[in-house]
Amino acid sequence: MLNKRRFIQGLFTLVSAIICVLIGLALGFIILVVFSWSSYSSKGVPYTVGQVFSTAWEQGFKRILLGGFYNLGWKIPTRSLLLRSEICRIAPLLMCGLSVGFAFKTGLFNIGAAGQYTLGAYGALMCALILKLPWWACLLASVLFGAVWGAIPGFFKAYFNINEVITSIMFNWIGLYGVNTLMYGNGKSVMYNANESKVWKLVNKNASAIIPDMKGDGSTLFNKVFTNPSTIAVFIAIAVAIVLYVVLNKTVFGYELKACGYSKTAAKYAGINEKRNIILAMAIAGALAGLGAGLFYLTGTEQWNPQENTALPAMGFDGISVALLASSNPIGTIFSAIFKAHIATGGPKMEKTLFPSEIADVISGTIIYLCAFMLLFKNKLAARVFRRSRKPEGEIKK
Amino acid sequence: MDDYVIEMLHITKTFPGIRANDDVTLQLKRGEIHALLGENGAGKSTLMSVLFGLYQPDSGEIRKDGKTVHIKDPNDANALHIGMVHQHFKLVDVFSVLDNIILGAETTKYGLLKKDEARRKVMELSQRYGLMVDPDALVEDISVGMQQRVEILKMLYRDNDILILDEPTAVLTPQEIDELMEIMRGFAREGKSILFITHKLNEIMAVSDRCSVLRKGKYIGTVETKDTTKEELSRMMVGRDVSFTVDKAPCKPGDTVLSVQGLTVPSKLHSNNAVKGVSFDVHAGEIVCLAGIEGNGQSDLVLALTGLEKASAGKIEFCGKDITHSPIRKRALAGMSHIPEDRHKHGLVLDYSLENNMSLQRYFEPEFESLGFIKQKKVHSYAEKLISEYDVRSAEGPYTIARAMSGGNQQKAIVGRELDRRTKLLVAVQPTRGLDVGAIESIHKEIIAARDAGTAVLLMSLELEEVMSLSDRILVMYEGEIVGEFDPQKVTVQELGLYMAGAARQDISAASDAAARGGIANA
Amino acid sequence: MIALALKFTLLYGMVLMLVALGGMFSERSGIINIALEGIMVIGALIGVIITRELQGYAGFVQVSVSVLCAGLAGLAYAFLLAFASINLKADQTIGGTALNILATAIAMVIAKRVNSVGGKLSDSARLKYSYDAFVYKIFGVTVNVFLFIGIALLIISYIVLYKTKLGLRLRACGEHPQAANSVGVNVLGMRYTGVLISGFLGGIGGFAYILPSIDTWDFKNGIAGMGFLALAVMIFGQWHPIKIFLAAMFFSIFKSLANIADSVSFLAKLRWPKEIYNMMPFIASIVVLTLTSGKSRAPKAEGIPYEKGQR
Repeated sequence: MLNKRRFIQGLFTLVSAIICVLIGLALGFIILVVFSWSSYSSKGVPYTVGQVFSTAWEQGFKRILLGGFYNLGWKIPTRSLLLRSEICRIAPLLMCGLSVGFAFKTGLFNIGAAGQYTLGAYGALMCALILKLPWWACLLASVLFGAVWGAIPGFFKAYFNINEVITSIMFNWIGLYGVNTLMYGNGKSVMYNANESKVWKLVNKNASAIIPDMKGDGSTLFNKVFTNPSTIAVFIAIAVAIVLYVVLNKTVFGYELKACGYSKTAAKYAGINEKRNIILAMAIAGALAGLGAGLFYLTGTEQWNPQENTALPAMGFDGISVALLASSNPIGTIFSAIFKAHIATGGPKMEKTLFPSEIADVISGTIIYLCAFMLLFKNKLAARVFRRSRKPEGEIKK
Repeated sequence: MDDYVIEMLHITKTFPGIRANDDVTLQLKRGEIHALLGENGAGKSTLMSVLFGLYQPDSGEIRKDGKTVHIKDPNDANALHIGMVHQHFKLVDVFSVLDNIILGAETTKYGLLKKDEARRKVMELSQRYGLMVDPDALVEDISVGMQQRVEILKMLYRDNDILILDEPTAVLTPQEIDELMEIMRGFAREGKSILFITHKLNEIMAVSDRCSVLRKGKYIGTVETKDTTKEELSRMMVGRDVSFTVDKAPCKPGDTVLSVQGLTVPSKLHSNNAVKGVSFDVHAGEIVCLAGIEGNGQSDLVLALTGLEKASAGKIEFCGKDITHSPIRKRALAGMSHIPEDRHKHGLVLDYSLENNMSLQRYFEPEFESLGFIKQKKVHSYAEKLISEYDVRSAEGPYTIARAMSGGNQQKAIVGRELDRRTKLLVAVQPTRGLDVGAIESIHKEIIAARDAGTAVLLMSLELEEVMSLSDRILVMYEGEIVGEFDPQKVTVQELGLYMAGAARQDISAASDAAARGGIANA
Repeated sequence: MIALALKFTLLYGMVLMLVALGGMFSERSGIINIALEGIMVIGALIGVIITRELQGYAGFVQVSVSVLCAGLAGLAYAFLLAFASINLKADQTIGGTALNILATAIAMVIAKRVNSVGGKLSDSARLKYSYDAFVYKIFGVTVNVFLFIGIALLIISYIVLYKTKLGLRLRACGEHPQAANSVGVNVLGMRYTGVLISGFLGGIGGFAYILPSIDTWDFKNGIAGMGFLALAVMIFGQWHPIKIFLAAMFFSIFKSLANIADSVSFLAKLRWPKEIYNMMPFIASIVVLTLTSGKSRAPKAEGIPYEKGQR
């Protein structure tokens, strides 16, 4: 009976997630068609509906769908940098998704993943560029920095009962401005490379801080795909997802965290220290987001730009869509992170003079909006299915 | 032909999985007080919500003055001059009394509210019917009795002449109940018709002209009150003979289990203390009952005893150890069980399965845990054991999500969980609220069995009948203090009422003597 | 220097106040509106586009039409929040967050489209505009038209909330929707009203933020957290119009420090990086929220979807 219930609920979750994705993609395609049509009409030359659609497909939508496979067609990937950078994006997305999802499971909305990610990036890069530590130590630092930044809103929630959403948002901005100040240091920071107006590349300053890849002798397909910037980071992230799944579902700690999440008052009644659990849950969520930043910036694929980063890292907010799409299930998050990385890689490959790459963001924004209420439909639907098999109870439900 | 002002004919209303009203007919005469009797969950509130336009019936028809009407929302009901006082008052706490009365029936001039005119009308009504209220006080600051008067004024302000009162006496002292009945009779004399929902037989006999009975959603019948008896009514309500007394052996108090000295608990609502220096003992093998009107500090006292709230002064000794500042877990492990007042807020993690809820107080014990992992199989078999012992019914057994269970079965699950812990002290707060007679009987039996096995029981209840039948000793609380201690054998409900309303109090130091002399010392 | 400080304080103060008043209407009706940030972005975008189109018209026409359009754009965008959270009973915080993320993406898509020349899309979401019609000099202080709009809307908000039938009913829905419904108040309608008013005010607020101080705006930056600050202002202002006005003024002092730091001699001497000043309003809001947390009087029913027939 357990299996049947779980199976059906899982199925509904999956189906509703797929529906959200399909509606989001359909909307994206419609926007592409509109852009394609308006570009044709402004040229003032005769055109057909077929041309409008084929441009929207060939120069736009197909490239989103192809993602990292864009310049490969559907052929077997060989040494595509694009594909490797798509894989490189999966790890941070997955970690931010896990961060938000883990907090959801414990009844908290961690909108602060962006700030924790920022702090994680600082922790990792500071250890790499200033302290010259090896990659694993830098990763630990990113975990630590993220955890602290997550724990603070948890502390305010537990002891002052301030909504974690508000504090997390404030700490996002405080973290961003703080980290940028430290990394830039009026242009005099050790971490700042004035020539490129970015933080130094790891290769130039401390190559040991780069997360190892699986290049090997480069002979097999596996070796080719997992060559830097695609590193073992994605495997670390997947391992973390599995550990989280076990912790949440099989352990006493997970039982307590979820009890707090479902009902703070009932958890308190049962003698669970709900204040400690809130802080702990936010610290873990922060650690996950921080690790995400470490797993991204320690691949060396991109450098932090403390002068241009006036907006919060999108990764933290993408984590929200990744988590929602997966209904906060750690295993599901792996797949939603892959999906998100895929369309985010595809978006900028659209023909720039025709289609803004942000259409990919519109798609994922739409998906979160739909997810916000699709899950409720799913629950209602599931409840209806189960009610049919319900035995009479003799009493009327109050 | 009878002069029916309202007729509800063959009303059927189903909710998912439940037929709340099944072909129910109710006819209300002009100028009568008509009682609607039924157990919790019999469908009384649903029927009244249909009349008031909060629910739409699946089938059946409603007639006003012989003409069919369709009541789609409370506005329609109001237009037909139907008014309702809900069991849980529908008042906005942070609004003034006046704002609450005019809400939904505002008069305006140039778009602005005409409050002066409204105030005059309210004061006039208040004087005429003896319903004293302070129009500028915030609802959160006034007594429950005054809140009820505000609710009644809301109906009068709208010129309603069909008044529905849903369980109006649940929150009142016996004396206040008498006053309310007098007001009801006054309304009836003026030609207003009153529908009065209750499950208390005494009140029906005292005030109503006729009585209709519902049972499990079905209409059982209507009787003239003067031609019936309490026994007949209760048979109609429950469907079998019910004994009004609880069988129990005489109490044999043992050692002191709980000793409370000068306990003071601050209030969350106002700057005064909710509990003011209260002292009492509870012994093994006795049931001590905290009686009083809701909001006189009993709940706060219990929360402080169980550790959910902090005491600001005083001392709690449990089995000889000071636990005043102990965390909740420590109290539980020392043998304190707690059936909480609010089963949804505290008693259950509603989104957990029944099996996870059954182990809520024990999941960390070696029986259910190893190396940080939960032994789910053990949890499952333990839940199955409790479910069969306490007859907890649900659709999917241990896998049922607690939220999907009926209130009675949720309560039985909590009672089972709390009694199956070799407990030394059971703190039970309103353990039978909202349950039907069958469930009430079984929970009473379990509590008495625990007491006979030597458990100390501290029971808090707002139902005086329950207080009188279960307890071995009664402590009455008024405004945060214990104002009297009584032997239930030697005190009447009316006397308790005087103490509950603050009209009388014993000298606390002589309280135990008073109890010995029959508790009538200062009455 | 004082004139400059006053200029920026009033500028940001009005923006924060308008948006916080918007949030107040929404939350007083029972809907948490965390989408204010996104609503501001949309209002700013449409306001700017309309202003560009209206160049050459009389100043009065420019101002009134573009402000109205900014408000209506915000209102239309808030409709998405209302629909999700009132009809579909979505989690209000998640729905609002989705709209925030979506708003920046939509704004960039549209801004790039607006910037396109001859069917070729621009790669920049930076829009240029002129604010001449919106700014006046009074007694040496540069003030913009939003000062007057803001004060008018503050007074109207106060009257609507406390002196009218609408206000009474709206507040009842945020505190105890079941009670409101039992006396015939249309709870869903009131909540729609609250959210849509907040969209209108938020849209104007977004426009008021970017327009009068600067002549280009890059929509890549969204609205730089102003919507979230406005939420803090609303909480600090205890959901009350007059207190919100005072709270907005308090916060705007911190916010304007970044703009005047260079021209105030003793601040300039400190040579603090601009980021420190940017951080200040956020730190101030944390401090203020901590201090006021004990006596917070949030509407009791906010965030809880209303289901008819629930007891």
